[in-house]
Amino acid sequence: MAFIELKQVSFFYPGKKEPVLNSVSHSFGKDGITAVVGPNGSGKTTLTKIMVGIVQPNSGEVFLDSLPLKKYSLAEIGRRIGYVFQNTSHQFFCATVAEEIGFGLKHLGKESEAVEEKVEFYLEYFELTAYRNVFPLRLSYGEKQRVAIAAVLANSPDYCILDEPTVGLDVYRKRLLENHLKKIVRLGSGLLIVSHDYNFVKRIADRVVRMENGQVQEGSG
Amino acid sequence: MKLDPRTKLVIIICITTLALIYNTPGRLLLLFALTIILILFFRINLAGIWSSLKKLLPLLLTLFLVQVIFLRSGTALVSVGSAPLITANGLAAGTSVMLRLGIVCFVAVLLTSSTNSRDFVLGLAQWKIPYEIAFMVSVTIRFLPVLREEMSNIITAVQLRGVELKKVPWREKIKLYCSLFFPLVYGTILKAQRLSLAMEARCFRIYPQRTYLRRLRLTCIDYVLMVVSVIATLIFINPDIWR
Amino acid sequence: MEAVAVKGLTYKYWPGGPLVLNGIDFNVSPGEIAAVTGLSGCGKSTLCLCVSGLINYNKGGVMTGELLVNGKDVRYLKTASLAREVGLVFQDPDTQLFSPTVEDEIAFAPENLCLPPGQIRERVDYLLDLLGIAALAEANPYNLSGGEKSLVALAAVLALDPQVLVIDEVMSPLDPDGKKRVASILDKLRAAGKSIIIVEHDLEAVAFADRLMVLNNGKSARFDRTEKVLADWDFLAAAGLIYDDEGLNNG
Repeated sequence: MAFIELKQVSFFYPGKKEPVLNSVSHSFGKDGITAVVGPNGSGKTTLTKIMVGIVQPNSGEVFLDSLPLKKYSLAEIGRRIGYVFQNTSHQFFCATVAEEIGFGLKHLGKESEAVEEKVEFYLEYFELTAYRNVFPLRLSYGEKQRVAIAAVLANSPDYCILDEPTVGLDVYRKRLLENHLKKIVRLGSGLLIVSHDYNFVKRIADRVVRMENGQVQEGSG
Repeated sequence: MKLDPRTKLVIIICITTLALIYNTPGRLLLLFALTIILILFFRINLAGIWSSLKKLLPLLLTLFLVQVIFLRSGTALVSVGSAPLITANGLAAGTSVMLRLGIVCFVAVLLTSSTNSRDFVLGLAQWKIPYEIAFMVSVTIRFLPVLREEMSNIITAVQLRGVELKKVPWREKIKLYCSLFFPLVYGTILKAQRLSLAMEARCFRIYPQRTYLRRLRLTCIDYVLMVVSVIATLIFINPDIWR
Repeated sequence: MEAVAVKGLTYKYWPGGPLVLNGIDFNVSPGEIAAVTGLSGCGKSTLCLCVSGLINYNKGGVMTGELLVNGKDVRYLKTASLAREVGLVFQDPDTQLFSPTVEDEIAFAPENLCLPPGQIRERVDYLLDLLGIAALAEANPYNLSGGEKSLVALAAVLALDPQVLVIDEVMSPLDPDGKKRVASILDKLRAAGKSIIIVEHDLEAVAFADRLMVLNNGKSARFDRTEKVLADWDFLAAAGLIYDDEGLNNG
């Protein structure tokens, strides 16, 4: 069954002739890992932003769990879909890495011990323990990437959208990420990954969706 | 019509000067009408300006009320007992303040919405304004919307992390906003440092001078408009100037 | 003369801090592409900052050893003057684009170098075409996609026409077309006698380099012909740069 469904969604930037998305219809299931691939500037990021309601399409509609996305507040969407921005600097707002990872849980009213435990786990897993009290924006690109992913995964959302998660990660960290993502999928979460990293996509994706000229083509994983 | 940014700058300085010197509601109203005509003339979307300036309305009204209430000279229009509540002078001063600020705001929009920052810097630099200053102005114009967007990004990110901002009680909300403030400021400073590094890495200020890819050229119309505006302003300020 | 000559280079960000670079020896000749790879935190980005002289910005840092670029010691040159010798493309494109349009971004460096407008125009048009971003000339860099930003950042540094080019992970946000394009541009620069240092995680993306250095904890674990290093699977696996099994051994 479709978890997120796009119905004839179009989007264009004001003043540009070519639409970024041209009447895209596609449904994304909640099972397994879907990868969205395509050339630079083909609208992959815009597509994901529309899927979480940060960007409103010019026409068409998005459904989340069969209900129009407009019916949800951003926070309601955020509790169901974890979103990792392409430019992770855009999603940091805490003074330290540890606070960043624990933010969502803390504000969902989780016990501080449970929050602490989760934060510890993610700090350790993504090898960020040394940076726990560092201001996130001071980190290197790859480190920021890991903090952003940890902060979103710590909320254990039903579904995750990761925009270019492997940029700036070395082979070893890619493996760490891959193993963890496979694990959360086994535990029942759905994943959508936007990536150019064909090796990573090949290893991890169950389905591949290609974007070109504002259109979506389904391929095989 | 495509005017040189410098021509626009001159016109704007003239109008602003008049707005500051004039202090009667009648004259200011005329000036305000002139500003509106200019905006229509440059085909700027008046509704767009209105929607962005709407937020200033409470401020304008407060200023108006302060003037009306605290200025007590002149004939009383409304009195409570023997004490005058609203006086003619107060009303005039209040209206003037409101119109004056309105003119300045509209004129500022006239500049920003019809010129891109690169032309503006180019114009200033060609008028021998030091490049550093012109460049600073340009970077500011370029990054103000970015900063605003960054703020809205943060608000979005907070909500996407599952926090229902609208339902958070007031006290909690203020605490949350305060905690967001520091990272925003620190992040901006870090970004500024990195930008200056990137600029230096591309030879910023290596020589006292620099060249420009493009040149702006003043047309006849530009010169005429500039001269007419300046002369008209001088006459408006002091009609006796010719004698 | 070597374009870049590094001997016994060490660096720490503050006195008494850990050695981020710990005795690096390497050199790059004119017309050569040297790639640097290694796991995150091995000192790759610090090495880029050192070679380009931008490390001088970090006031508390301690550098020892020798570091000559075109025969000049980077420690005693002002950053802006050094920028004529070495161009650095940073990893994060967002922190190096500041102009209102792509065209201005590329023109910024030649304008600072006081080139005549005709020549700037020529250079800008050439680079827009070379990187395949001519359609974006009037766009605001801030609104571009990640890969497009990287290309603009590269073009803006190439506009300096530096003898030595240092590139810190520009390939990874690019699509395969973009990667091919950048590789062929670097090839062209190599043929023109420029020296290029390219830092990258992805071994496939650096296969066209002449020599490859593997950094490990601030030390050069290997610096040899690229094909030799890439053929040595045992070494690469030991350095944690490749996996020949499925999944990671968590022990």
